[in-house]
Amino acid sequence: MNFSAYRALARCVVLESLRRKDLWVVAILGFVILLASSTLGFFGFSGLEIFAKDMAVTVLGMFSTIIAVLTSSRLVPDEIKNRTLYPLLARPISRLDLLVGKLIGAVIVTWISFLLLAALTAVALMIFHVKFELIMVQYLVAKMLGLVVVCSFAMMLSTYMTPSAAATMSFIFAFGSPMIGRGLVMASAENPAIKPVCAAINSLLPQTGLFDLGGRAVYIGWSMVPVWVMGFLLAYGIAYSGAALALSWAKFRRQAV
Amino acid sequence: MSSAIEVKDLYVQYKTKKGEKLDAVQGLTFEVKKGEIVGFLGPNGAGKSSTLKALMGFVEAKSGEALVFGETAGTPEARKRIGYLPEVAMYYPFLTPMETLTMYGELQGMRGRLLRNEIEDLLEVVGIAHAKNKLNRSMSKGMLQRVGIAQSLLGNPELLVLDEVTSGLDPVGRKELRNLLKSRQEQGTTLFFSSHELAEVDMLCDRILLIHKGKFVEERDMSELKATLRNFYVTYRGDVSMLGLTEAWNENHDGSKTARFEAKVGLVQAITRLQDKGGQILDVVSQEGSLEDYFIDTVEAAA
Repeated sequence: MNFSAYRALARCVVLESLRRKDLWVVAILGFVILLASSTLGFFGFSGLEIFAKDMAVTVLGMFSTIIAVLTSSRLVPDEIKNRTLYPLLARPISRLDLLVGKLIGAVIVTWISFLLLAALTAVALMIFHVKFELIMVQYLVAKMLGLVVVCSFAMMLSTYMTPSAAATMSFIFAFGSPMIGRGLVMASAENPAIKPVCAAINSLLPQTGLFDLGGRAVYIGWSMVPVWVMGFLLAYGIAYSGAALALSWAKFRRQAV
Repeated sequence: MSSAIEVKDLYVQYKTKKGEKLDAVQGLTFEVKKGEIVGFLGPNGAGKSSTLKALMGFVEAKSGEALVFGETAGTPEARKRIGYLPEVAMYYPFLTPMETLTMYGELQGMRGRLLRNEIEDLLEVVGIAHAKNKLNRSMSKGMLQRVGIAQSLLGNPELLVLDEVTSGLDPVGRKELRNLLKSRQEQGTTLFFSSHELAEVDMLCDRILLIHKGKFVEERDMSELKATLRNFYVTYRGDVSMLGLTEAWNENHDGSKTARFEAKVGLVQAITRLQDKGGQILDVVSQEGSLEDYFIDTVEAAA
């Protein structure tokens, strides 16, 4: 564990991202949401709390995933393409340290974007006099854990394929894994002989749906999820991200650059 | 003097996108002693950068051995003692030189005031202290090369591996760099660099290694090479033959003759003969030979 290396690499990713104005997209988007909500409020839609919350979690989930994928899928390929990798690899750090540091940076950028967007959305929701419940905090925490899984999955794919292919695949799996999962379950119900294969494929997919507590957060009066559920999400997030990181390293550790 | 670099029978092979194998380095063996400045020469595609990459661990050798101060090349232990400048200097466009060097320094294991002071000193030394807070993207190629040189010197490494070190620098920058590298050598740093700039090689190196098509061609001590390349000329009038002393002589348009000798002893014998036979000596010149001619001749002979 080389924490000073992780810190240095992560800071570089965050600074680059901030100065490249990636987060401006989030801020502008948030402003648009805010404006749209105000308009709805002006026209007297103040009774539509559930609709507003539903829209908010959908927008939050979608745009934070987009930022997570776009940031993570270019971490390693950009270093190789721009030849900034050489002075980094010339330092006394391992290639695993490099991947971990970069991934931490991407996660921080994604979390900053997510929290910024969440703050703006919260302001928008206040216009509808939405009551905030503790389940919403759980929703945020779970979503942030899910974003770590998305980041590590996108980075892993980018070590095996081009950045655009990695981004496309990541979007398919991040947004479509619940649907693909359901499809696999249905397929195995139709044909029990392929059940082990379907189960194996399903376990390899990033189960991003697990981290989405949006449904509970949207409807009024839902209780918080038990602590063990959050613990399970944390454990799953760590295990899946660790596995994705290990796969990235397996490809990158001996790659000629 | 012990070795800073030891390369034994090194092979580096790449796979092209079509799956073909490309032998970039084929059985290279050489040694760089501590405190030396060694130039690594060869035409484009000779395998210089591949050798340097193998020394840094960027590519894995197919076979053979590369050691840096006795440590296997490419390991963090070996890299801790090396400062490396890549062939094309590219640095994070949205960071400043100060931030760039801070990151590299921290990766090197440095931190705090010590790191900040060293960065300030290095930026001063390479001449970009005035631009330390500008974004890298706004800098010229020459300024970025200076950032690159500064990052390679961070932590005062024992060995500098420099790939095309003078690339992008103007004549003033080259002179400053030469002085800087010479002063580092005086402090005990070993320098191993590749370059196409033979004038720089001539002014900097103790020794050169020449490779072609991935194979070792020859190594030469610079002072010995310069002595070999030196030619002596005598221009004279009179009917005196130089037969037996040199075959390189010709008649000039004004009727005088010029004879060329590769060694000083030949020149002395010629002067004695001219004096004995009544020749009139018009001019005697000692001229340094061209490293470029040597490079071209040697590479052509090896092809």
